[in-house]
Amino acid sequence: MSFLGDLIWIESRKAWRSRIPLISALGFLIMPIASAFLIFVIKNPQLARQLGLVSAKANILVSAADWPAYLKLVAEACAMGGFFLFCLITSWTFGREFADHTVKDLLAVPVPRLSLLLAKFFVVTIWSIALAVEIYLVSMVVGWLLRLDGGTSSALLDGSIILLIAVALAIVSVTPFAFLASVGRGYLLPLGIVVLIAIVSNLVAVAGWGDYFPWSVAGMVTQGEPLAPVSYVIVLLTGLVGILLTYLWWMRADQSR
Amino acid sequence: MTLAIETHALGKRYGAVTAVNDLSLRVAEGEIYAFLGLNGAGKTTTIRMLLGMIKPTAGYASVFNTRVRLGSQEPWSQVGYLVEIPYAYPELSVYENLEVARRLHPGTPPGAVSQMIERLGLAAYADRRAGTLSQGNAQRLGIAKALLHEPRLLILDEPANGLDPAGIVEIRELLRELAYQKDVTVFMSSHILAEVARLAGRIGIIHQGRLLRELEVDELEGERRKRLLLQVDNPEAARSALSAEGYALENLTDGKLQVSDPKAIEHPERIATLLVGANTPPKMLVVEQEDLEDYFLRLVGMDGDQV
Repeated sequence: MSFLGDLIWIESRKAWRSRIPLISALGFLIMPIASAFLIFVIKNPQLARQLGLVSAKANILVSAADWPAYLKLVAEACAMGGFFLFCLITSWTFGREFADHTVKDLLAVPVPRLSLLLAKFFVVTIWSIALAVEIYLVSMVVGWLLRLDGGTSSALLDGSIILLIAVALAIVSVTPFAFLASVGRGYLLPLGIVVLIAIVSNLVAVAGWGDYFPWSVAGMVTQGEPLAPVSYVIVLLTGLVGILLTYLWWMRADQSR
Repeated sequence: MTLAIETHALGKRYGAVTAVNDLSLRVAEGEIYAFLGLNGAGKTTTIRMLLGMIKPTAGYASVFNTRVRLGSQEPWSQVGYLVEIPYAYPELSVYENLEVARRLHPGTPPGAVSQMIERLGLAAYADRRAGTLSQGNAQRLGIAKALLHEPRLLILDEPANGLDPAGIVEIRELLRELAYQKDVTVFMSSHILAEVARLAGRIGIIHQGRLLRELEVDELEGERRKRLLLQVDNPEAARSALSAEGYALENLTDGKLQVSDPKAIEHPERIATLLVGANTPPKMLVVEQEDLEDYFLRLVGMDGDQV
């Protein structure tokens, strides 16, 4: 199994040299910064009056200018923004082999295709976790700079746990996009589906079925909605089905391009 | 005889379209086999089936006596390949791309990358991103990836694509050296007969998915048509003089005349004597052999006017 280390090296090198990790790290920073801006608007009523519409929006989104409200806002932003970003990373990692026509170099090699796929999933997961850690640390520093109230250890711990769960659920739920990138032989299909899912997940949440829609669960966690274990099981199954479908497709489908 | 490649009634259909039909090939170890066909003849589909990239709809392929299956690990440690246009990871350097190829073949020593860079003349480009390479150097990189793990069988789809004349000669010599000195089997596709005739020992010609025929490269000489071309001032006098001796004379569009009779081709001096005797001595008399391109087009049922 020493080749698994080699395969992880290969995937890491491809990702690192693409500069997409840097771009995604910078892009993801918008989540805590936007959250901090809304909190800042709430904390400064005079500025809020001058901003008009933004102030009204901030008042809808943020209940108070304190640590629990700030962390809830960051978690909400990460559940949705993180999902999009993790989808992008997954779609790129798998879809680029088709877009760059490099997939044929992976097909007749003396290593199991399952290992090739696991190395890709491993790198996607580590990459996503690294982004989550980045967001968490930046959020903490920004919160501290904003001198927010209510920074008790239990409030920070509760907020952190919700953020962690939301990000973990988002990471697990994106594996079907590896399958979509493979079937679509590029980025277009998964990116089209992610837009569709964003719309559908809002609709099912409004209809009250969000507990059973795998891509709504992370958002519901950040809303503090009580969720039954079945919701977590559905997300986990979605993740496993995504890996299984990707594997079956890579093992069975004709690679004629 | 150990077989490097064997296909038995191999076929591939895409709906109503038959890409490859009833293809049975046997390539012995150490042989250089050229797989010749026009664009769309089924060469790349065959190669993809040999490499387990697509599933045959009929028959099977074996490589080193291992039945090729989709997604299998065997027998790829012994096979190097290049399919269609060689692509590389554009953001990685030439060195890194080869390092990726090395790690995909466990057991290949780390020093192999530098050696292959030297051998394929890529040293000046080793640190350059693959996305910025010229077509010729990208082709060299593709060939380097195929050779890196010292395979016993090379399956190369149009290996001369994009190379300049010096590059073509260089790669030809490299493949010849591998086949003759290291007993590496080479299975290469091409659509240019003249190119493969200089390297291959045996040639298989595929057209519309079917193997039209296989021939040893030595047979090419005898297979190509010859004709006697001549030019005279008085074609009618020449025609009657030659007809009297049983030779048929054909008019060509450029004003020349042609005799296809083997006796005339073997003894053109007799034709010259007859023409002089008829008081219309030849201004031009030459035995011409069908070139490889025309021969190939004739085999696949397309003469020059149809192309």
